[in-house]
Amino acid sequence: MRLYNRLLRLLRGRDTDERRAIQDDAERLLDTARVRGGAAVTATWLALIWDLAAGATHDLARAVRSLIRAPGFTVTVSLLLGLGVAATTTLFALINAVILKPLPYADPEQLVMFWEWNATQNRVEGPSPGNVDDWVARSDAFEAITAWWTASATLRGRDGSAPVTGVQVTKGFFAVFRRAPLLGRTFADDEYAGTPSIASGRTGGREPVLVLSHRLWQNLGANPALVGDTVYVEGRNWRVLGVMPPDFAVPDAGAGFWTPWDVREAYRGARFPDGPPRDFRFLNVVGRVTAGLSREAASERMEVLASRLAADHPRTNAGWSVQLVPLNEQLVRSSRTELLLVFGAVSCLLLLVCANVASLAIARGAARARETAIRLALGAGRSRIVKEHLAESGLSAALTALVAIVLTIGSLSGTVAFAPSDIPRLHEVEVNAQVVAFAVAISLLVTLAGVVLPGLRGSAPAIAAALKEGAPISGRRGSQVRRALVVAEIGVTVVLLVGAGLLVRSFARLQRVDPGFDVRNLLVLRISPDVTRYQGPRVTDYYGRVLDSIRELPGVAAAAAVTVLPMSTIGSDFYRPYWLEGAPTSGNTATVANVRMATPEYFSTLGLPLVAGREFSAQDTLQGPRVIIINESLARSAWQGQDPVGRELILDYQGGATPRRVVGVVRDARYDGPRSAPAPEIFIPHAQNPYLVMNLLVRTTIDPEALARAARARALAVDHDQPVHSVTTMERLLDDTMQQDRFAMLFVGLFAAAGLVTAATGVYALLAYTVAQRRREIAVRMAIGASSNSVARLVVMESLMLALAGCVTGGLGVAAVSRLGRSILFGIAPQDPLTLAATAAVLLVTVLTASWLPARRAARINPVSAMRV
Amino acid sequence: MADRQRSVDHLLPLKPKVLHVLLALADGPRHGYGIMQEVAARTEGLVRLWPAALYGTLRELEDLDWIAEASERPTDDDERRRYFALTPLGKRVLSAEVRRLEAIVDLARASRALRKEGRA
Repeated sequence: MRLYNRLLRLLRGRDTDERRAIQDDAERLLDTARVRGGAAVTATWLALIWDLAAGATHDLARAVRSLIRAPGFTVTVSLLLGLGVAATTTLFALINAVILKPLPYADPEQLVMFWEWNATQNRVEGPSPGNVDDWVARSDAFEAITAWWTASATLRGRDGSAPVTGVQVTKGFFAVFRRAPLLGRTFADDEYAGTPSIASGRTGGREPVLVLSHRLWQNLGANPALVGDTVYVEGRNWRVLGVMPPDFAVPDAGAGFWTPWDVREAYRGARFPDGPPRDFRFLNVVGRVTAGLSREAASERMEVLASRLAADHPRTNAGWSVQLVPLNEQLVRSSRTELLLVFGAVSCLLLLVCANVASLAIARGAARARETAIRLALGAGRSRIVKEHLAESGLSAALTALVAIVLTIGSLSGTVAFAPSDIPRLHEVEVNAQVVAFAVAISLLVTLAGVVLPGLRGSAPAIAAALKEGAPISGRRGSQVRRALVVAEIGVTVVLLVGAGLLVRSFARLQRVDPGFDVRNLLVLRISPDVTRYQGPRVTDYYGRVLDSIRELPGVAAAAAVTVLPMSTIGSDFYRPYWLEGAPTSGNTATVANVRMATPEYFSTLGLPLVAGREFSAQDTLQGPRVIIINESLARSAWQGQDPVGRELILDYQGGATPRRVVGVVRDARYDGPRSAPAPEIFIPHAQNPYLVMNLLVRTTIDPEALARAARARALAVDHDQPVHSVTTMERLLDDTMQQDRFAMLFVGLFAAAGLVTAATGVYALLAYTVAQRRREIAVRMAIGASSNSVARLVVMESLMLALAGCVTGGLGVAAVSRLGRSILFGIAPQDPLTLAATAAVLLVTVLTASWLPARRAARINPVSAMRV
Repeated sequence: MADRQRSVDHLLPLKPKVLHVLLALADGPRHGYGIMQEVAARTEGLVRLWPAALYGTLRELEDLDWIAEASERPTDDDERRRYFALTPLGKRVLSAEVRRLEAIVDLARASRALRKEGRA
């Protein structure tokens, strides 16, 4: 009853006698039903709710009908148009922030991102430390070049430990971006060398220093006095030199702090006798082109330098050149397709709304033609009538803009919350002067297209014709234009429907792809231990204890750890060259594989079957022989079908090329989600390379979510200072890889549905209007013997013609934009016949439904009464 | 007379729901719940009216001036309730509709096909 009352209040207003009477009666009906038992109560309940809902739609229809009558017409039109404009403006605000707005750095067009590019292997990689070092020293095309790489770190505050992202940056970082700190200072040139690095745990001679991001500074209490004070990160105190402004997000908004880093210092000693490595390509490098030099010229000079380096270091650099990508392009490259897709959908909707409003306006202009004619005949000035018309249109435009801006503010916050999280610069979205100007301009434009132009038709009618008793209230031309508009609406809807259908089918295919292992009942967690506390065998021991402790939990079947989980974007993969025993150790001809560290039982926990050999065991230690497990892809490409187990493979990883014996072959898995093809993989026992930051994988016999808390507690019980984070399930991770696809599907689906409703309304309005106008003609037909059926058929035939014309128009539209869809779709062609057929079917049913009421009305025309007036 | 005739005829036919409400009020004023009970009783439960739609209809009929709030209240008075009664216009609409239906029923009775079916 509470639900009923609440609904009733919502629909019938706060405090009316009527509402109270309805409520009383509903209660009495329920009381009566209770005497007859449970089934009767349920039936009464359903009837009451149905009654309420039916009443509401009836009221709503009446309200809309009365709104359309002037002066509500202006309000209706403004609401309709405002909705369309708001959708477009929201998208403009997004595109403006993500693509169009210049980067928040001085002279951003001088900024370029560096990539190493190997044409023969078709590979593009982040530059290697050795090459960057040479570029900085030898290139004269850049004012500054900086490199960075991110590492996860642990920050210990008063309320426990938290993982933060630290960015290690080389000299010139702040000069390249030309940004001054909000508070304090950035690093002096002589502070880069000799300071400790996050990952290595080396102490260096100087005091550790860092610059905080605005966000982290705020999380730490936003105290200006923090500058000059210290924070405790990765087991030691770091002096805070400064805080960057809020919009400084390099490499992204997730950056917590920046620390100085020196390439030459990081790579020296026994492990790197030749200095910084050149075949270890993983850095992010950005440079500022010297003022006055074009990007093309800088690019040419870099290519010359790269070929010189290739001649000097053929083993590592042969075949490698340099690519420069403008930084703003680099940032938006990934999300451009998505945004354009969404913008396309929104523009379609705006077109639809415009067409519908124009159709309304033509009908209204026609209806007013008579009134206008009378006023003209009575001596009203033509200019006065035009002025009135313009005033009304101006009001309509202003209202439209207002509605649009209000809705945009609301929808922007919604979009930011629901859009895929990896769209860069999304945090910069705001309603600024540009966005408001855009909303106003589009409002004016759509009002002009939708209201002013169609309305003008009615302002200068031929007086005599319009005043003739019983003259049809609209000319033939008006309804032809309206018919063309409806055809266009159906065409646009076809494009949206086909898009939505294809995306749904593509998404269904993605979901059916077998990732290679059992994704159900897998809990995952990530631990970023403190590098100063755990090194070498102590890391192995720590993870061993954590895993043992988790295995004891009831509901846990198995547990293991690995550096990079399937479906996860966290964790760093190592892309390293390998070759077979006996082959010449030549870096430039070697093929590469992803290198990962895994604990014993990793594959059985994951549910990824071994094809040959064995899993890692506790005996695969630092003292034992070097062993690896490879996947089928690698086995196929390296040994072409021969059994690889027991053979050796030379892997260039961590301190040079060492032979390792293959002990097992594991089935291929789609590591990066269903869209990705399996790639060659090499697994190393974690004990033989005790990597610090690992992902735990727990196979459960119960719902993994239920174990999340307990598993985390077990890990914290082993060492409370090591942060356990990113707790989730494998199903979620798999789901996240399809986030973009889901977003596209939902978004286009939503717009297709909106488009369908709009087109249906358009068809209905046109036919209803035509029937009303042809009342007398139809009456004559019926009087001379046409049956009701044949009259109804006439109306339905007209709607079918509209649908057919619309389908043809839409088909042309689909052909035009299908190229765009190819990159988004998975496993399905844009010409998928099933989708096209389904679209046509949905459209026909919709149009027929929309024509049903007007057809029935036409069939019921009473010839006598229709002809009497 | 002709004038009066036309002013009611163009309102016909009535929606079934409206006809039932008017019929329920034909014997005298009733409140909303009373109308619901009366309609259910008369049609042996075949037609049931539900409150939200009923009060909407009552409001519309009031706006059309076919019914009005009753000035004299019946003996089983319920303080809190509004009683509705037919207005003269409402009575005329009702009787015109009944006459129309009678004519249709007569027509149907005259039809040979239906007569046969009735006998079989």
